[in-house]
Amino acid sequence: MDFDFSDEQEQLRDAVRKWVDKGYTFERRRAIVKAGGFDRAAYGELAELGLAGLYVSDDQGGMGMGPVEGMVVMEELGRGIVLEPLGQTLIASGILGGYAPEAVKSSWLPKIAGGEALVVLAYQERKARWRLDVCETQATQSGNAWSVSGAKSLVPAGDMVEAFLVPAIANGKMALFLVERGANGVQARGYPTQEGGRAAEVEFKSAPATLVTLDGLAALEHAVDIGIAAACAEAVGVLDKTMDVTVEYMNTRKQFGVALATFQALRHRVADMKMQLELARSMSYYASLKLNAPADERRRALARAKYQLGVSMRFIGQNSVQLHGGIGVTDEYIGSHYFKKLTQLELSFGDTLHHLGEVSARMQDTAGVFA
Amino acid sequence: MDLAFTPEEQKFREDVRAWVRTNLPQDISNKVHNSLHLTREDMQQWARILGKKGWLGYGWPKQFGGPGWNAVQKHLFEEECALAGAPRIVPFGPVMVAPVIMTFGSPEQQQRFLPGIASGEVWWSQGYSEPGSGSDLASLKTRAERKGDKYIVNGQKTWTTLAQYGEWIFCLVRTSTEGKPQTGISFLLIDMKSPGVTVRPIIMLDGGHEVNEVFFDNVEVPAENLIGEENKGWTYAKHLLSHERTNIADVNRAKRELERLKRIAKAENVYTDTRFRDEIAKLEVDIVALEMLVLRVLSAEKSGKNSLDIAGLLKIKGSEIQQRYSELMMLACGAYSLPYIKEAMEAGWQGDYVGAAHCAPLASTYFNMRKTTIYGGSNEVQRNIVAQTVLG
Repeated sequence: MDFDFSDEQEQLRDAVRKWVDKGYTFERRRAIVKAGGFDRAAYGELAELGLAGLYVSDDQGGMGMGPVEGMVVMEELGRGIVLEPLGQTLIASGILGGYAPEAVKSSWLPKIAGGEALVVLAYQERKARWRLDVCETQATQSGNAWSVSGAKSLVPAGDMVEAFLVPAIANGKMALFLVERGANGVQARGYPTQEGGRAAEVEFKSAPATLVTLDGLAALEHAVDIGIAAACAEAVGVLDKTMDVTVEYMNTRKQFGVALATFQALRHRVADMKMQLELARSMSYYASLKLNAPADERRRALARAKYQLGVSMRFIGQNSVQLHGGIGVTDEYIGSHYFKKLTQLELSFGDTLHHLGEVSARMQDTAGVFA
Repeated sequence: MDLAFTPEEQKFREDVRAWVRTNLPQDISNKVHNSLHLTREDMQQWARILGKKGWLGYGWPKQFGGPGWNAVQKHLFEEECALAGAPRIVPFGPVMVAPVIMTFGSPEQQQRFLPGIASGEVWWSQGYSEPGSGSDLASLKTRAERKGDKYIVNGQKTWTTLAQYGEWIFCLVRTSTEGKPQTGISFLLIDMKSPGVTVRPIIMLDGGHEVNEVFFDNVEVPAENLIGEENKGWTYAKHLLSHERTNIADVNRAKRELERLKRIAKAENVYTDTRFRDEIAKLEVDIVALEMLVLRVLSAEKSGKNSLDIAGLLKIKGSEIQQRYSELMMLACGAYSLPYIKEAMEAGWQGDYVGAAHCAPLASTYFNMRKTTIYGGSNEVQRNIVAQTVLG
């Protein structure tokens, strides 16, 4: 039982923080938002730092690192509210590395690690809401070749990426495929999202597909859990910054002749925010440390984590805006962008009520971190 | 970073578990598991069993006859005791006054007082709170005047837990009214059999006699019972408070009580009711998050690499969780929580329970648990402390 970061992990954190502070300023981010919410050059810079290959093994050109390193990196990207979806790369590399045949791994993982290929999970369907086992997209096999038909929603940067991981029903059972965006029968309609990022509606019409695994539901659940852990860590970074700007504002802004930080009603609100922050950080650790646990244990843990993070994000986000007063609801102020990012994270990979339901359905007689 | 305990820590846990399960009397654990009334004899019996093993002072260093465990080992010991249904160790002797005597007491005081605390023979009480000083402890007024080789003590303490059993009491007393309130306080050990000491019960809203008023009327206390220096008592008391870290969260007991809540909810047919079940699920996440918070503090203490100043958070969240599980248990039984039959809260009652035996103590426990957000520095005071660390 040990929650210290190793020296290597601290160095990784420093490297990412340096890039965020110097390379991904609020001004640059604003320009990226204006230009559509995704910047290939910025993503390339993340890849240059080695981050796209974080979960890719050494022999495939990556860093061969694990969930704790993933968490460290996502926390730092959260601090910069970075728009480029590195969490998706963690999902794609983790799932391809864990489930795909050798040939698929060796043709895609080096490109993912190098940043030439951004591969994202395209799983959301209109009728599924948060359920992972509801899927209308169909896969058909003819000889050795597969093709998929269907539509996926809210695919991160979906009109800019190289390929998608697509769950589809093959012979009545969910399988997971890789489909290139440039393939015949693929159409992506991109649009901006509320927090400044980018997503797309992606349609597949008999699009040629590469089989990743026939055990599609297990792979999809795993993919979403990697996504949850990444989102939790990213959220912790955003929450840290949200607290920072709130504390700074309360110590500088004067009303009735004194700093806001002198009012006990507001101080107690900040204490409650600090509580939510530390619960969130604790559960983000928990999420990442349970990411390699057996599937049942992992699912239960990740649902618990996402529930806590959802509660914390909404509480801290809303209260940060409130404590700022008018400035908190302006576009000019960075705090409102943190708030929007927190909202986006809450609505990703299952919202708070959904995960409460998951925790509730998965309860055992005993409970605790080790249950 | 690693969530798992080391193999050595696991082995330690298993050894402690085996010993506790063998040596904890079943009639006592049965009472704890069902919130039935614990007598002085029950508490004292468990204290003596631990004392004989050398584990009553489980936080003590080896030099004073303790096991010399580190923070993680202490946590595992507490957890195994809680899960097995052991009564909570009455903390005033072994956990509260003993570390002060070890750190600030004279060798004579150490030889005189520590053996009786370690064995569980001598029952200690804590004399801090006064009618006029609750969360603002430094405003205390009980006076101790030096007359020759004695102190003459006059005043009143209150909320004194289990003082009806107390043989000794450690008190914060005012020895000076000059300067800041904190600088005129001394730490005095008082024999409760001394003439002029009167204990009066305070009956709480659940009908229980858990706390008392203690009056001091010209009580003569030998000057040799002063700990350390006169007017330094506040510093010693603060040292004591800093000793209480993760224990205050009581997360181990919360895990046990969550299991009990689930048993009661099943028996009352609300475990499958979505609205009720979701409330249990929320509590479960709260407990896991609190446990992670506790583990983070323990890890920081173990490695010494990073310090986590979140004791206030542990107190707030831990006490809220205690209140919540007692509340949900009561709600699970609904109106069957309402009968107030004191005998039904005793073990082995042969009368007719209303509803079921498990319903009988739930409302009383719920009422009793309201104290947790008030004592030990109210949660509002804790929020002040937390805000201070965040905002300055």
